[in-house]
Amino acid sequence: MSYARMKFYCDDKRCINCDGCSIACAEANELPVGISRRKVVTLNDGVEGKEFSTSIACMHCTDAPCEQVCPVDVFYIREDGIVLHDKVGCIGCGYCLYACPFGAPQFPTDGAFGTRGVMDKCTMCAGGPEPTNSDKERELYGQNRIAEGKVPVCAAMCATKALLVGDGESVSEIYTKRVASRGHGVQSVPYGWSTAYGR
Amino acid sequence: MKKTVLFILMTLGAYAREIGGQVPLVQMDLSASKGGDLLVSSQMIQNILHYQNWGGLFLNLQVHWFRLLFAIILIGVIVVFAIHYLIIGKKVFNENCPSVLVYPLFQRIIHWIAALSFVLIIPTGLIMMFGKYFGGGEFVRISRYIHSIGTVVFIIAFIPLFYIWVREMIISFKIDTKWVFILGGYLKKKHIKVPAGKFNFGQKTWFWMAILGGFVMIVSGAAMYFQDFNIPILYKLKLDQIDLLRIMAVVHNFVGMAILALFITHLYMSLFAIKGSLKSMLTGYKSVHELKYLNSSYYKKLLTKGFISEDKVEDD
Repeated sequence: MSYARMKFYCDDKRCINCDGCSIACAEANELPVGISRRKVVTLNDGVEGKEFSTSIACMHCTDAPCEQVCPVDVFYIREDGIVLHDKVGCIGCGYCLYACPFGAPQFPTDGAFGTRGVMDKCTMCAGGPEPTNSDKERELYGQNRIAEGKVPVCAAMCATKALLVGDGESVSEIYTKRVASRGHGVQSVPYGWSTAYGR
Repeated sequence: MKKTVLFILMTLGAYAREIGGQVPLVQMDLSASKGGDLLVSSQMIQNILHYQNWGGLFLNLQVHWFRLLFAIILIGVIVVFAIHYLIIGKKVFNENCPSVLVYPLFQRIIHWIAALSFVLIIPTGLIMMFGKYFGGGEFVRISRYIHSIGTVVFIIAFIPLFYIWVREMIISFKIDTKWVFILGGYLKKKHIKVPAGKFNFGQKTWFWMAILGGFVMIVSGAAMYFQDFNIPILYKLKLDQIDLLRIMAVVHNFVGMAILALFITHLYMSLFAIKGSLKSMLTGYKSVHELKYLNSSYYKKLLTKGFISEDKVEDD
């Protein structure tokens, strides 16, 4: 029996750079101004035929580098593959940001002197180590939609359904169908994934 | 000019409101979108492709090496000196003979400001590095803040420290190579006349490590502290901002190791290896007897200048 591993995938043939996912995320999780757990980025801006946009957040890596480098060991990987961290233990050192290939870790300012606070990142709307759906969990990590059986808010809001989320195999199945119906533009792995991981 | 004044007023206003408990409706800091959008830009995606260059290096070092090397240095250096203390022991010099003012008041003040900064920075740095053994959270986070505050103290001492001692710290091949060959005479119990001016080669190494290494630490530490910044030179170097941060973290750790090793050495020398060493940095005076053996070149210079006379110092 194989276990499901939760994965995000952004279909750059469908993404229209509307920023809906990142705004939905920021609103649903009440993020402070300047913190983007999810970002929409356009590459080759204005180059005909080459321009594309993609939405990026924490990719919930199987071998999460952030989890490996953390000096205080606050990261944990759930059985379904979602990478989460404990904000109470986090010291905001920034090492996870250096280790992350995707620039996912965010650092809100904290307190009167504008010092860097503890790390904040995409939780795949699965909260954190606090009791599920408790006030503290909501305050620290945002919504826990996974516990309610809902899709993460970014993918739920995606108007063109470019942003897919779910267990890796289902995502791949949907994507395979799309590619087959399009008849061109096969991209076996997400942009940059193979180079980043040498696979 | 007007802009600067306005900026300062706005910043002060924002702080005053926060301290006063009145939270502004909109947070002024738009860190993700200010200054060229470096961390949120196409650079962010393109960098995924070059992850192995610096990201892989940082990952490998942080996962396998940094903590291990710091532990080896911390324990290794302490063990070596503990053995030295057991075998060779303290060097004791006659304190009843005349003494010379070696460190004037200003030098002592600067030394102790720098010392305070090291005492703040080094243990807190180690606490962060071994944070998981302290359970993370509040304690380690506060250590991180103290690490930054210690840096401000070090910056205050930095230029005066350089200025007061740079002339005497210039390495002299004639004297210092001899010092290296006998390892400063620290391997013998007997007092021997060690070739050294006002500062020996060990002290010179520590001085240059504190100055040059300290400068590197300030720069690399500042890069990591400010994290999201925009400096045009990065475009010229074709270096992504995140890669600069990774390089800075690697440099900060390696230079930190060197500083740690020499800091422990300095502590051992001043607290254990030479009797009265700590006192000399508090009062400024060193006994002529000590100078005769540990700083023989300086002693000769004092003799020729007539500051001291030979007959008052007994031989061993």
